[in-house]
Amino acid sequence: MKSFYRWEFFLLLIFIVEIGIFGWLSPGFLNVNNLLFSMNDFMFISIAAIPMTLVIISGGIDVSIGSIMGLCSIILGVSWSHGVNVWLAVLIAISSGLAAGLLNGLIILYSRVQPLVVTLGSMFLFSGLALVISGGSKASGYEGISGFPDTFVQLGNGSFIGIPNPLWFLIGMTAVFCTLLHFTKYGRSVYLVGINSKAAFYSGLRIKWISLSTYILSGLGGGLGGILLTSYFSSARADLGSEAVLPVITAVVLGGTSIIGGKGSIAGTVIASIVIGFMQYGLQMIGLTSEQASIVIGAMLIISVMARQSSYQKVIQWFRQSKTDSSDPTYKGEMR
Amino acid sequence: MKLLLRLMQIREASIFLFILLFVGCIGLVNPAFTSGGSLGLILKSSMILLVLAVGQSFVLITANIDVSVGSTMGLSAAVCGMMLTHGVSGSLSVAAALLIGSCIGAANGLGVSFFRIPSIIMTLGTLGIVRGYMLFYTEGKWIEDIPFYFKKLSSAAFLGIQLPVWIGIIAAVMAYLFLTRSSVGRYFYAVGDNEAGARLIGLPVKSITVLAFTFSGLSASIAACLFVMNIGFVPNQTGTGIELQVIAAAVLGGVSLSGGQGSLFGAALGAIFLEVINNSLVFLKVPAYWNNAISGFLLLLIVTGDSRFQLWLQSNGKKKQQEQENMSRSKLPKSGEGGYEDKVVL
Repeated sequence: MKSFYRWEFFLLLIFIVEIGIFGWLSPGFLNVNNLLFSMNDFMFISIAAIPMTLVIISGGIDVSIGSIMGLCSIILGVSWSHGVNVWLAVLIAISSGLAAGLLNGLIILYSRVQPLVVTLGSMFLFSGLALVISGGSKASGYEGISGFPDTFVQLGNGSFIGIPNPLWFLIGMTAVFCTLLHFTKYGRSVYLVGINSKAAFYSGLRIKWISLSTYILSGLGGGLGGILLTSYFSSARADLGSEAVLPVITAVVLGGTSIIGGKGSIAGTVIASIVIGFMQYGLQMIGLTSEQASIVIGAMLIISVMARQSSYQKVIQWFRQSKTDSSDPTYKGEMR
Repeated sequence: MKLLLRLMQIREASIFLFILLFVGCIGLVNPAFTSGGSLGLILKSSMILLVLAVGQSFVLITANIDVSVGSTMGLSAAVCGMMLTHGVSGSLSVAAALLIGSCIGAANGLGVSFFRIPSIIMTLGTLGIVRGYMLFYTEGKWIEDIPFYFKKLSSAAFLGIQLPVWIGIIAAVMAYLFLTRSSVGRYFYAVGDNEAGARLIGLPVKSITVLAFTFSGLSASIAACLFVMNIGFVPNQTGTGIELQVIAAAVLGGVSLSGGQGSLFGAALGAIFLEVINNSLVFLKVPAYWNNAISGFLLLLIVTGDSRFQLWLQSNGKKKQQEQENMSRSKLPKSGEGGYEDKVVL
């Protein structure tokens, strides 16, 4: 019964209401196939948001994630166009994502400057490097590199037993990161670093390694997102994902992760990113552009955080109180 | 050497030195950079970022952050441009733009102070809302045909300095005087340094927060008017992504993101420095796509270097203190080796 009151449940409720309303407004919306494949549009946000949850829980932030996507995309494209096998190029792109995350983490640890400032700088650096690479190779800046082999394009567009590949990707990633964050010692220590890094240090945790590792994972998320985008558009561009930062952070925060750290869950992030994605898709079907749809998403973000901070908690408390009062007075001891 | 060290400790001075050094180096490579009107042009174009950075500093000093300035600037520019093309007088259009910017800023401030929404989330939300509303307002079209008299204002000069630069200077000086010479101005630092303490000694913490965000919104709309003046049309993407540049400029100028520290002049100089970097590459005959990489690299280098330098100063100060304590305790003359090491360190 306790899970009934969780924020993730409330998000699921929003999700169902959302699907219902859009289905009512435009009947074409409820086509299951359409719904599943429309998820490909925003899957890169979910995939980048999952590791970002770890970063934010541990008390940091990584605003360079969008630039990492572009950098990995262009590295993939350039190495492929130089004759490297496409899967080897994918591997190179992933490792450059990891390297970008490592660089972020190392600078943050070495300089003791706030993560927001460091990743702000590296955001410019990575997106600049991506432009330099694409400008330095023959591929002109914004047209990108295209013509990838079909097997690679299928990664972002194909499907397996009726479920699109990116969704499989998301399911796998959710499973891995859920286990990592919620069922391992490492995951618990990420929380502790976010709640009180001094206490974590004094209890013998390697806090430096923990925060470094979250940034590396975030770089991995950026790399995977960039590869997925490249495959989905079947073209590698330096500016892919450049607008992804805000949706990614919105998804994490809407998913119940506290921006100051110490609180949050993978499930919340994933559900929130899907809620946001479908909101955009639904509003587009009604006839708004994705930028106009950002009114609704912005309002959703503010209202949800406001609700979580004040009234939602009170309503729940009131609910619990009235329930326990009427049924079983001895149950009160367990109430917070 | 000591003087240089002392200067490095003052962030405004060090950033100013950096700018001079940078301009000097570029000037050596390509004299066209320092001669002629190019520096003046860069100064004029940096005013948008400068005004935004000054406004943002108020928010940063109170330990908050405002990422909605880009969209606020976009909407204000759209309103200003729309009214101008409909034949409304220049002053009225500017006033409307300023009002809108202040209102958005105040709304941010209310959300942060009264509803206790973390500032990055509140302003992230308004970023989306305002940007989306701007596209409704302009119906997705660019605003062109800004009346010529308004565009001409940007090249109107007084005492050899152009109007946008005057606006930037006046805004920065007024904000600086307000922040440092009035008691209310000191409250901003108090709130940012220790909010609970500020509340305990009876400062109006909530009003100060609202005021800080209002200034930030106001600065965004001043920047919007400068943009309409300078550019002469309002594209849909006006101000997109500028919020991160603004924060970078303020940080470069020594404004701390954890609040309570930094000066407006530092932020203003940071903005000019960023703009100088962005514009200098052309003179070095470096392709323009190097811009972001170099400014990102410099930002990281300066911020990291500064942080390490401050840490070194602290540890050095502690070491010296310890040494003095040791000396006074043992009353032994300083060993030759120690003295030698000292010299090497300095």
